[in-house]
Amino acid sequence: MTGYVDFGYVAFMGVGTYGMALGITRLVHFKGLGIGLIIIGLCLAMVMSTLLALAVGAVALRLRGAYFAIATIGVNEGFRYLIEGAKIWNGSEGIIFMGQMNEAFGDEVASALSTFWADVLVVIIAALAAFVTLHYMRSKIGYALTALREDEDAAKVMGINVTKFKIIAFITSAIFAGLLGAAAWAIKTPYVFPPEVFEIHYTVEAIIIVLLGGAGTLLGPVVGGLIYGISKYFLAIILPGFQLLIFAPIIIIIIVLFPEGTIGMLKNRVRGTALERYIV
Amino acid sequence: MLRVENLESGYGPMQVLWQPSLEVKKGTITSLLGPNGVGKSTLLRTVLGSVEPWGGEITYEEMNVTRLPTHKKVDMGITLVPEGKHLFVGMTVQENLIMGAYRKEALKHKDETLELVYSLFPVLKERGKQAAGSLSGGEQQMVTIGRALMTKPKLIMLDEPSQGLAPKLVGEVFETIEKLNTEIGLTILLVEQNAEACLKSADHVYIMHEGRIKAEGPADEIAESSDIREAYLGI
Repeated sequence: MTGYVDFGYVAFMGVGTYGMALGITRLVHFKGLGIGLIIIGLCLAMVMSTLLALAVGAVALRLRGAYFAIATIGVNEGFRYLIEGAKIWNGSEGIIFMGQMNEAFGDEVASALSTFWADVLVVIIAALAAFVTLHYMRSKIGYALTALREDEDAAKVMGINVTKFKIIAFITSAIFAGLLGAAAWAIKTPYVFPPEVFEIHYTVEAIIIVLLGGAGTLLGPVVGGLIYGISKYFLAIILPGFQLLIFAPIIIIIIVLFPEGTIGMLKNRVRGTALERYIV
Repeated sequence: MLRVENLESGYGPMQVLWQPSLEVKKGTITSLLGPNGVGKSTLLRTVLGSVEPWGGEITYEEMNVTRLPTHKKVDMGITLVPEGKHLFVGMTVQENLIMGAYRKEALKHKDETLELVYSLFPVLKERGKQAAGSLSGGEQQMVTIGRALMTKPKLIMLDEPSQGLAPKLVGEVFETIEKLNTEIGLTILLVEQNAEACLKSADHVYIMHEGRIKAEGPADEIAESSDIREAYLGI
């Protein structure tokens, strides 16, 4: 919502997966935690991604616009090599915790967790993210973030503490990334390998989705995700292997013709009509 | 009201301000003149805190505010109309203005201040629902000034408000500035390259060159001193 593009997004998801993995493997010996273990894992994912966001933000948020984007590209790769090179959390061997899952929850619950409940959690997290975003948009935070996105200098002279709101936006995004990593990857697979969880590919996909849908809107990423998911699926059937080759020019066309994305375009169309309230 | 003493600041390793000192008295229009690139804008930004001061002291209403963050200074009634038109172009004129009333105090008085802005700039009321980006240059400048007024300032600093405007509009901008001073009682620090017009409106003038204050005096004295005019203003 600040107009800052975070190419390090996946790093926060990666750290989230580690949060869950560490939570489960280190605490599995405390019997009786039951499903509380998952909650502890989610909390760990949140705490760890917040800490990483603070560390990265303290440096990167001093940069503006494109420079911020460039600086964050390195975070992801840097963090991956740190884990592999310094052999933190098992280094490049990763953490496989299928066994611990079974031990903690029993075989049946563990398999239900990774097949069904992980997906439910993702939906819950998405809903939560939507709720928080909506709350931000309707409050003074949204107001400040909009000013910040449109013109940082103007925001400053209006008395907006730009640093504070950049940090709020950055940490919020990091926390949801961490939660998503913990749910969509760690619980689902359940293993964590540095090269897989710190794959920059996901960040790029996320940015494509936001561009398709419309940045700075609530419905944008949802609509963008649908368009992207569906067209990726059909492209894979019609022209297997060529999806990315076809996506690249499509993205360029979108940026040139509809820089505001689907929802951004709709928003302009309905401006001033009764529909305006529902396109957020 | 505002006193700047031996201020030093710059960007990265480059020092821009070499200890200029100046004072803005309550209820006056003080003008800072000088050619391009001598540090006038940097001085304003340093006063507001969006550029960090390296040394020196900034006193506002007898309080040392040198290291205060920008948003605190805005709370105290200092604001800046930045150079160029920093508008939210996608929003309507009215939305732009309301954005100005962000701080708590300003938000409380939002409706009255909006009335005041509209009475100063009746044309903005007509264009209230239009996108700010679709306005003419002069009207956009009014929106920027109006938005600054929405913060309920006591001291307003204007950074080259007449820049890029048609000559006819330049006169209007200066009239507006005088109105802010006489009708609302705002104290004004005006940075300009347009020396001629500025010397007419201002009470006190400082002349800046290479990051330093080279001359100062009441506007009429400066206007009469041909040495100063030739040396620094080129008029």
